[in-house]
Amino acid sequence: MTATVIAARGLQRRFGEQVAVAGVDLHLQPGSVLGLIGPNGAGKTTLLRSLLGLTRCEGELSVLGMDPRREQAKLMEQVCFIADTAVLPRWMTVAQLLDYVAGTHPRFDRAHAERLLGATEVRRQRRIAELSKGMMVQLHLALVMAIDARLLILDEPTLGLDILFRKQFFEQLLNDYFDEERTIVISTHQVEEVENILTHAMFMNRGRAILCDSMLALEEEYVELRAVGPAVARAEGIPHLGQRPLLGGKALIYQGIERESLAPLGELRTPSLADLFVAKVGEDNSHV
Amino acid sequence: MSDTVPSRWFTLIQRELQEYRVSLVWTPLVVAAALALLMLAGVLVANQFSNLGQVMLEAVMQEDAGEGINLNIRVVVDENGQQITEVVTETVAGDGAPVGPPREDYRVAPAPELADESLWDFSSDWRFSPVPPAAPVGVDNTEAPVDSLNPLLHGVHAFMLIVLVFVSFNYLLGCLYSDRKDRSILFWRSMPVSARDEVLAKLTVAVVVAPAIFIAASILAQLATVVLAMLLVLRMDMDPVAVVLGNIQFGRVLLDQLGGWLLTALWVMPVYAWVLLASAAARRSPFMLAVAPVLGLGLLEAILFGSKHFGTALMSHMPYYNSGRGAVGFYLFGPDWARLDYLGLLLGLLVAGGLLAATVWLRRNRWEI
Repeated sequence: MTATVIAARGLQRRFGEQVAVAGVDLHLQPGSVLGLIGPNGAGKTTLLRSLLGLTRCEGELSVLGMDPRREQAKLMEQVCFIADTAVLPRWMTVAQLLDYVAGTHPRFDRAHAERLLGATEVRRQRRIAELSKGMMVQLHLALVMAIDARLLILDEPTLGLDILFRKQFFEQLLNDYFDEERTIVISTHQVEEVENILTHAMFMNRGRAILCDSMLALEEEYVELRAVGPAVARAEGIPHLGQRPLLGGKALIYQGIERESLAPLGELRTPSLADLFVAKVGEDNSHV
Repeated sequence: MSDTVPSRWFTLIQRELQEYRVSLVWTPLVVAAALALLMLAGVLVANQFSNLGQVMLEAVMQEDAGEGINLNIRVVVDENGQQITEVVTETVAGDGAPVGPPREDYRVAPAPELADESLWDFSSDWRFSPVPPAAPVGVDNTEAPVDSLNPLLHGVHAFMLIVLVFVSFNYLLGCLYSDRKDRSILFWRSMPVSARDEVLAKLTVAVVVAPAIFIAASILAQLATVVLAMLLVLRMDMDPVAVVLGNIQFGRVLLDQLGGWLLTALWVMPVYAWVLLASAAARRSPFMLAVAPVLGLGLLEAILFGSKHFGTALMSHMPYYNSGRGAVGFYLFGPDWARLDYLGLLLGLLVAGGLLAATVWLRRNRWEI
């Protein structure tokens, strides 16, 4: 039996006149890794905060069978989140932080957290303010991984980290944490780095979900054609989502098209998430 | 997996003490130690002028309720830089009028080789009067001769409580604001601790835990005072047990101080809750938000209606020294349960409940700065 982890319908959040989230539907099953991708100000953070019960919102919403708006604290026993980098309380020492989580979180395995920290440079007596940004993220990740949660929400978890830390972060998450019982939602700008770990992707633009599907379905639905020379003009004649220049040609992204009809025009491949995103947002913006 | 309710609350409160360790833990200990050191300095000085101590004690221990000695100590630095201490006693009648001419009992002048030490002008007058300056609330004044050392301990306690009030306000103003400012609230909210529990833990720290630490430190300082007083008496070849211990009613002092805080905590609850609300609501300065609307309302009432009910109601819930005249207010010492304004107390607690509910709501829904 697989209960739905997130079920949202018509989720809305307004700040006065401004609509941050304008009617988003989202259904997610256990064992998924959803990538939430969107430009700055698209409403990603507001959407994630709505899911966490950190902000009020309208619409139907159920996370792990609970309404985050009414049972935020209870929900946090099952849901972990890293809402931003460097939000750990700076005045605490690492040991005090472990004490606090151990004292308040029923599903926290302190020994496991200490083991994970043992592999890093983070020492227990250090004050968090003295840690580097990378070490802070390592510490936060160790806490989160030692909590036996069913849903993990990461909002720009690696912002401002160098590439080594970022790579290590996602590898550790995937290898040592993720399993078919758990669900992860990641919002990030570094699309390329998460692309290979996602099972689902959601694009947001101006408060709306302009695309939300599994990666398998995306591979079926979208195709990128790399055309060179005279084929470019013919390829451009076929309705496409977007295009970008290549060396000596163009790459065009098509939606729901017979692959056989494109095959003669050039090399076909699955578009990268970043390219697909740019094409989708460009299309969405041109509709206004 | 120790998820029992008491250990959870212990963790929440421990967290507060860790964050405000300087003001909630070190301040009371340091202030208490400083008070004890002052007493020690007093004993050392008194030892030097042991005659002076003798006179002081005679004055303090005057058994006669109607007549006492006013003791004036005058330290004069004369033009040669010589420090001369004069002790002048005058016998006074019950109404304080002098009975006889002042007589100069002692004159202490430093040895000539010490003259250089007194470069600063320490000329001053100290006046010791055998009548306790203000009888503590709830203490029957007819016992005055017996309790004559209780006010000394109450003085130490009062000083600690004044520091406590400042520390508490500082704590309450900051506790729901600083984590929003540095965004660490995003971490606290990721833990399964509700906004209600957070607010209650912080209120508990301000109302129960911090006072407990300050009162404990105060009791240590008072014990040090007693020991030093006994030392002083011993050096004057008197029986410390009879002179010092015999004149302090420890049970009474302790009961007054603990009961005084209990009642105070109930009285100041609406003010504390208001400060918490300001801390949870503030975008820039919790202090301004706590003070400005209150001043504005009081002023508005004065202008529109020419009355000051708001101000009066407010002041009765502010920490101030109730000298026993009114039936409402803040008690530094023993409470007077019989003369208590129970309606005022109840109204205050109702207001506090409403303010706390608003604080929890803000904490939950309007935490972003």
